[in-house]
Amino acid sequence: MADSTTTNLLLTKPEVGASTDTWGTKINADLDLVDAKFTADLLSASANGVTGFKNRIINGAMVIDQRNAGASVTPANGDYTLDRIKVATTQASKFTVQQNAGAVTPPSGFKNYLGVTSSSAYSVVSSDYFLIGQALEGFNTSDLGFGAAGASTITLSFWVRSSLTGTFGGAINNSAYSRSYPFSYTVSTANTWEQKSVTIAGDTTGTWIGATNGVGLYAWFNLGTGSTGSTTANAWAAGSYYAPTGAVSVVGTSGATFYITGVQLEKGSTATSFDYRPYGTELMLCQRYYFRNTGSLYAMHGVGTVFSTTQADVYTKFPVSMRIIPTVSLSSTQIQVGATLYAATSVSGAAGVTTDGAFSRVGTAGTMIIGYAAILTNANNTSGYLDATAEL
Amino acid sequence: MQYQIQNDVNGNPCAIAIVGKIISIPMNEGNTDYQAYLKWLAEGNTPLPADE
Repeated sequence: MADSTTTNLLLTKPEVGASTDTWGTKINADLDLVDAKFTADLLSASANGVTGFKNRIINGAMVIDQRNAGASVTPANGDYTLDRIKVATTQASKFTVQQNAGAVTPPSGFKNYLGVTSSSAYSVVSSDYFLIGQALEGFNTSDLGFGAAGASTITLSFWVRSSLTGTFGGAINNSAYSRSYPFSYTVSTANTWEQKSVTIAGDTTGTWIGATNGVGLYAWFNLGTGSTGSTTANAWAAGSYYAPTGAVSVVGTSGATFYITGVQLEKGSTATSFDYRPYGTELMLCQRYYFRNTGSLYAMHGVGTVFSTTQADVYTKFPVSMRIIPTVSLSSTQIQVGATLYAATSVSGAAGVTTDGAFSRVGTAGTMIIGYAAILTNANNTSGYLDATAEL
Repeated sequence: MQYQIQNDVNGNPCAIAIVGKIISIPMNEGNTDYQAYLKWLAEGNTPLPADE
């Protein structure tokens, strides 16, 4: 009887009792086939983005912009711009941030990017830093095992386009900024999208927050940092560093641009294809940290009852559980009781806010009737909103 | 920036407002707005008392 083959992979099945001198060779060939197939399938799955939550960066394709809806902003220190993208700056008004600033064509596969434009030619002083980046939640980074032997290697990849060329940089930091890894990369050609990747050996020392809702790590891109916050590139250092020494200062040239998208931070030493996630999934990931309800005339934010002649208790359900109990704020909203409208003048968590919803006590200047049903809506405009903020 | 205490129905502090804004900051140490308030306090500032 001759050898047979398996149904799916067509592996050789040596005939039992035969192949006396060849069965080992045949089995080894089968094993090589299985090994090659496994590797090919794994790479294919990765290329097609079906390996799950490999990108620890949220909104890395710069798709979600709940706060500004594509408008340009001049961020202050600590402000968020596009969703999950934070600014750290020691000087006010040195750059603007806008989704798709300059309206250039994004890199292939992307529809959006974050655009930074320098507002002046500012010479950084030693203590200055100008950064954009993301604070990653400990729950999403704890498996990297930073701060102990066996810490995982990570790879940061991104597309960048700048009007400037040269050695740029950024940094990975722990939550206390007592551990820093300034990284460098080169922009070779002005006003041209280039894909970069930086592989970083996991930090085996220092204190890194584990599986909590605090900051697991910071990933910053440098727009200009003085000597105090700069040090040797591509090595872990104790202390607060945000850039490699000598990195290009974007804020140093008036009108200079720095565009970025496709930002991905993943476990491993290889930059794999970008982890495209469904828009709805990405939005929900963002809403764990920030949620804005807005969009139309009289958009409804919540319903409840009149608590006192000047206050109504209104419940708003958040779309996802937020990271922590959020700050709630209102703009251009009103309480509707029957057909009567009362402009909202204050909001308080006195009635109870949780990570899942806000039972807000909304103040008005009106004389409402206690016990009546109350609705919190936008005033007669489309720009009003209810915000819930639980950012890192 | 000026902060103001917000009380619950029992008269106990339950949140923080920012004067001139329609905002309520929970007294939760994981909340970055509350962290900013604590830093403001540590700088020697004093919030306005809650409205009666």
